[in-house]
Amino acid sequence: MPEKRLLLRNLHVPGIAGIETYERTGGYRSLRRAVLELGPDAVLQEVMTSNLRGRGGAGFPTGRKWSFLPKDGRPRYLVCNGDESEPGTCKDQEIIYRLPHLLLEGVLTSAYAIGAEQAFIYLRGEFKEGYRILEQAIAEARAGHYLGDDVLGSGRRLEVSLYLGAGAYICGEETALLESLEGRRGLPRLKPPFPATAGLYGMPTVVNNVETLAAVVPIVEMGGAAYAQLGTEGSAGTKIFSVSGHVRRPGNFEVELGKVTLGELLNDLAGGPPEGRKFKAVIPGGSSVPYLTPDKFDTPLDYESLKAAGTMLGSGGVIVLDDSVSIVDASLRLMEFYRHESCGKCTPCREGTMWLQQALERLHGGEGRRGDLLTIQGLCEHIDGQTFCPLGDAAIAALGSALRIFRDEFDQSIPGGRDRRVEEVAR
Amino acid sequence: MNAENTRRAEQLLGSFPNRSSALIPILHLVEDEFGFIPEGEVESVAAMLDVTKAYVESVLSFYTLFHRQPTGKYLVQVCRGLSCHLRGGDDLARFLYEELGLRRNGTTEDGLFTVEEVECLALCKDAPVIQVNLEYRPNVSRADLAKFLRQAREGVTADA
Repeated sequence: MPEKRLLLRNLHVPGIAGIETYERTGGYRSLRRAVLELGPDAVLQEVMTSNLRGRGGAGFPTGRKWSFLPKDGRPRYLVCNGDESEPGTCKDQEIIYRLPHLLLEGVLTSAYAIGAEQAFIYLRGEFKEGYRILEQAIAEARAGHYLGDDVLGSGRRLEVSLYLGAGAYICGEETALLESLEGRRGLPRLKPPFPATAGLYGMPTVVNNVETLAAVVPIVEMGGAAYAQLGTEGSAGTKIFSVSGHVRRPGNFEVELGKVTLGELLNDLAGGPPEGRKFKAVIPGGSSVPYLTPDKFDTPLDYESLKAAGTMLGSGGVIVLDDSVSIVDASLRLMEFYRHESCGKCTPCREGTMWLQQALERLHGGEGRRGDLLTIQGLCEHIDGQTFCPLGDAAIAALGSALRIFRDEFDQSIPGGRDRRVEEVAR
Repeated sequence: MNAENTRRAEQLLGSFPNRSSALIPILHLVEDEFGFIPEGEVESVAAMLDVTKAYVESVLSFYTLFHRQPTGKYLVQVCRGLSCHLRGGDDLARFLYEELGLRRNGTTEDGLFTVEEVECLALCKDAPVIQVNLEYRPNVSRADLAKFLRQAREGVTADA
């Protein structure tokens, strides 16, 4: 199964990060078309028609998100979420570092469509080189009149500001990101109100992922209807999957949704398992979703099929574990991550991830106690759905599935064989 | 802050719809200049934004890239994301600690290196990955690290 490259089609063109090459390969045609031919409402309509869903993880329909903005005359903002921090996910990094003008064109076209004069691109603090690359791209685009006080002679004003975070996974959650952008600790806000009505500085705000905004460029170019023809009915278009871990050719692969199976992605595109190894399990949507085992590798990569298989498409970060991996070790590593990144606002997440880490450390260190699996199962149940933002649920998604699928490995880490009380508390 | 950064900080105060947004960018200026956020700078940043010192502390303590202790000339961040973990990231950290005689997340006495194990750096396809002063080094091996340490000690710029 070949890739279907819309966003990454010019990735390997030398000089594509510069505006001349970008323009020569068709760049800024979509922004021109939007501003000079279509007008904002028609662009919004194209995005609605395209059935594009948010590529950051939640998969919410982008056009609908845009349509929630109230028409009340207040200033409105577009915020591009470039906080990419979900373990296993490195697609936005590639767009930011190598295709900065594609991102910028997506941001400008989208800001134009929703009637925002000011857009922000929030980058995680570690993307400092990416910040400089985008700074350069913005300067070039300004010289080309793609942003500024009079975009392409239309009289419309579009400004883009860059903002560098400073190291916090939680800032990828859209309301935590807005807090951070306003100069505060990145603690998630209570919803409602949603950002569409009260977002940045209390104003109507749309927050979209890097890949989502980049996808607006081909949508405007080819038309929403043509984009919707790609993929499946519920999962339109293409998606970039970052494949990492135990494969021979890790990388970013852009494929048509629903047209490639997980097995084809891993074997045909990513080169299969390392020499002499077999696949053990895969987390297909960033570390915050349940595992799939090889018996599910015929699952097509789209939102609905992955959900039906018991997991999620998420961010498209595919982490591959071969048969040399201890599931307790992988589970501990992930729990350390969530414990470190829990913002501390909600007790179940703050304390629960710490307790889970401690229990997993005991299992990992050969000091498992009889009640540890019961503790793990109970904590998972008491975190699930009990936190302000999705980080709590994210922390237990892979672990909960690991405990179901690889129960024997956990059993071997506690004295006295299988602890049947775990089944009694499990739902 | 030096005169140039003070000027840039003042510029930042006026460059967002709300002054509060300038806090994190100004803290970046301080961190870049000193390699950490010194006590006295917390006070002057607070004065600049007309907020309390405690407020500035509360914000900067939330973010891992702001340090309260001096860091080395080279801040080496070793990714411990699961993808790097699966491809030998732990071994890189172990190698650095051994070579530099450091305990976990420490700075060498000569002030040349700070080593930190950090969470996922978002370059999973090129695991194992490190960042040196926030610049990526993909597919890093022990030999690459040994070369980097040697060059850094000889005062050769890391990219040479």
